[in-house]
Amino acid sequence: MTTISSAAQQPAAVAAPPVGRPDTNRKKLARLGWLFSAPALIFVAAVTIFPILYSVVMSLRNVSVTGSGINMTGITGANYSALIHSSLYRYALGFTVVYTIITVAIELILGTIIALVLERLTAGRGWMMALLLIPWSMITVINAELWGYIYEGTYGVLQAIFQAVGLGHPNVLGTPTPAIAGMMVADIWKTTPFVAIIVLAGLVMLPGDVYEAAEMDGASGWYTFWHITLPLLRPTLALALMFRVLQAFGLFDLPYVLTGGGPGTSTTSLAVLGYEAMFKNLDFGGGAAVATSTAVLVLIGCLLSLRTFRVQVGKENT
Amino acid sequence: MARRTASGLARTRSRKTIIFIAAAAAGALSLAACGGSSSPSASSSSTAGIGSTTSGTIVWSASPIAGAGATDTRTVLISAFEKAYPKIKVTLVSASTSTDTNRATLATTISGGSATPDVYMGDVIWPAQFGAHQLAVPLSNYLPASYFAKFAPGLIQGATYKGKVYGSPLFEDQGFLYYRKDLLAKYHMSVPTTWEQLASDAKTIQAKNGIKYGFVWEGDSYEGLTCDFMEYLTDAGGAVTNSTYSKATLDSPAALKAVTFMRSLITSGVTPAAVTTFQEPQAMDVFAAGQSVFLRNWDYAYSYATTPATSKLTKSQVGVAPLPTFQGQSYPGYSNIGGWNMYINPHSKHIGLDLTFIKWLASTQAQDILSEQYSEIPTVESVRTSAAVISSNAVLAIVPKTKLVPRPAGTPNYPALSTAIYTNVNAILAGSVSPSAGLSSAQSQANTALASTSSGGL
Repeated sequence: MTTISSAAQQPAAVAAPPVGRPDTNRKKLARLGWLFSAPALIFVAAVTIFPILYSVVMSLRNVSVTGSGINMTGITGANYSALIHSSLYRYALGFTVVYTIITVAIELILGTIIALVLERLTAGRGWMMALLLIPWSMITVINAELWGYIYEGTYGVLQAIFQAVGLGHPNVLGTPTPAIAGMMVADIWKTTPFVAIIVLAGLVMLPGDVYEAAEMDGASGWYTFWHITLPLLRPTLALALMFRVLQAFGLFDLPYVLTGGGPGTSTTSLAVLGYEAMFKNLDFGGGAAVATSTAVLVLIGCLLSLRTFRVQVGKENT
Repeated sequence: MARRTASGLARTRSRKTIIFIAAAAAGALSLAACGGSSSPSASSSSTAGIGSTTSGTIVWSASPIAGAGATDTRTVLISAFEKAYPKIKVTLVSASTSTDTNRATLATTISGGSATPDVYMGDVIWPAQFGAHQLAVPLSNYLPASYFAKFAPGLIQGATYKGKVYGSPLFEDQGFLYYRKDLLAKYHMSVPTTWEQLASDAKTIQAKNGIKYGFVWEGDSYEGLTCDFMEYLTDAGGAVTNSTYSKATLDSPAALKAVTFMRSLITSGVTPAAVTTFQEPQAMDVFAAGQSVFLRNWDYAYSYATTPATSKLTKSQVGVAPLPTFQGQSYPGYSNIGGWNMYINPHSKHIGLDLTFIKWLASTQAQDILSEQYSEIPTVESVRTSAAVISSNAVLAIVPKTKLVPRPAGTPNYPALSTAIYTNVNAILAGSVSPSAGLSSAQSQANTALASTSSGGL
């Protein structure tokens, strides 16, 4: 309790709102701000907005890849109707959504618990953070290879452990449900630290006076957590949620390295499907439709959660 | 408290903007990967200089074949070529060892109008797809029929799409049965000629010897499983499509026999369940570690399984034979064709030089280097059957005895067709669907792939 207060008090004191700035000054500053960020904004537009629009256009046309370039003719909904009629697309969509929900939920819970522990640590917090960040800082492809060795079905680490204690031969990546679960474990192992760091930053910023008041009123630790810490952390959690959902929805490296989308098609995510359509079948229209639909779904998901989040904050404060 | 609320809201708002931008940027990233290909370019394929230019530099894109450093096959081939044609220089661009990555790189580079690589080494299953998308020059427009007549039977047919030959065969590969010579001798068994015999022999040896597995092969959800499946399917008398590629024929009794047998290898314990994650290296590793009696693999597995650095086994323990077939069929069974062709980029500015290089790679000199130094299967019939090549290596010696079957790659939608096969067969092997249910799903996906004009595979 006391640790929280002392840790939280300093930033709260520093973050006093700026006072006494005249309005004209502020407008001038805003204009200057735009001016300074213009080059970066133009660059971002060129490398992100143009490709986005190009993809959207491509998904709405008949595209053929030829030796003399990409030919686009007519305006068509054929690419999207192919998606809707494709059982593989529907499966990939369902898989990606379920995968995202489960992994992100577990990551948020675990990440929060780890952050709470870290926040209370008085000694060695730096070391712990560094250790924690190792999985997160490793490239996913390398992570995936490591997990591949663990899960391997004949000489893998897990195989050896299972056989040593007489539990049979697990065939993790070769059977659908274990393959999905194994992939989730690898994902959670890698990204929980990221959530923990974000939540820790949020915890440190919490106002200390609220906790002092709660303490004076005799609130229990649990009560304080559920009714003060968690509500106050909501913006932080929403931010972590957003980043994680965006990333999890684009799931590609893990299935690409670990299973190639298999067994069967059980770990085929939307990104893997889009990649296959585009670069294996050279079906750029279909691939663009997968990419566009994925991006649109993710944006809708984000806007919806932003909305809920704003309403909740509003309620909190009235 | 009131002021805190107000500023809290304001923070929320600006944070919302930041998050929105972050979301948009992440969305853009996922799209940028796809939008990165280039816009149409009006580059015309220049045929100038054919037969007239004799000097210049060409760029050759090829994935690693064998060797490394100074003994890298590609480097050795290039220096021999440059010795024969001192005025032509060849620059090597090392391509990805993953066929799919290689294809994606070449397709985007060439459709983007790049004049390099001038020539590229590509998979034997590409001609229809690359021909249909005009990503390769029809070589038969430049080279006479007599040039193509010197290759082993079936190879040029596989490199042909709509009457034009797109690839010049560089080296071939095919499925072989590797077996433990010592173990078969110990239990007085001959090399199995039927799949049924292989399964029962394996089981017997597993029981008597305690060796962990009987038979390992490629069962992962990837192109290699299509290769293995093709062998059982053809042995059982089936085919993937009809002869015109208008309809799939995967709902046949022959297909059912093939997958039922493959699955039974796993359920009977002859093949480890983990075979559903095995590609060539995993299968080779299990065999080379002395943990399996039999192995189905390609040409290169022989040197892998008999080299001390990679294997516990020696030449006296490893035998190689043509693949078995089903009971009642004539031995040997079918071996699936793999391997690599040479293709020319339509935008190449040096088609004359490209042709010179490609023709040299099909010469006796180049084919001898590939076969005698690197144990690759030569594509030129006279080299393949020459005494020197046959005596150079145990695998090359049995090549003339094998029966070959190509994959159904005569359709531009072959990748989607193959995906329909290997994903469903893999699911059958994993036991997540029954053989008949898996095949009917493969059948309908294969028909979708064959019928589609552009959206194959979705």
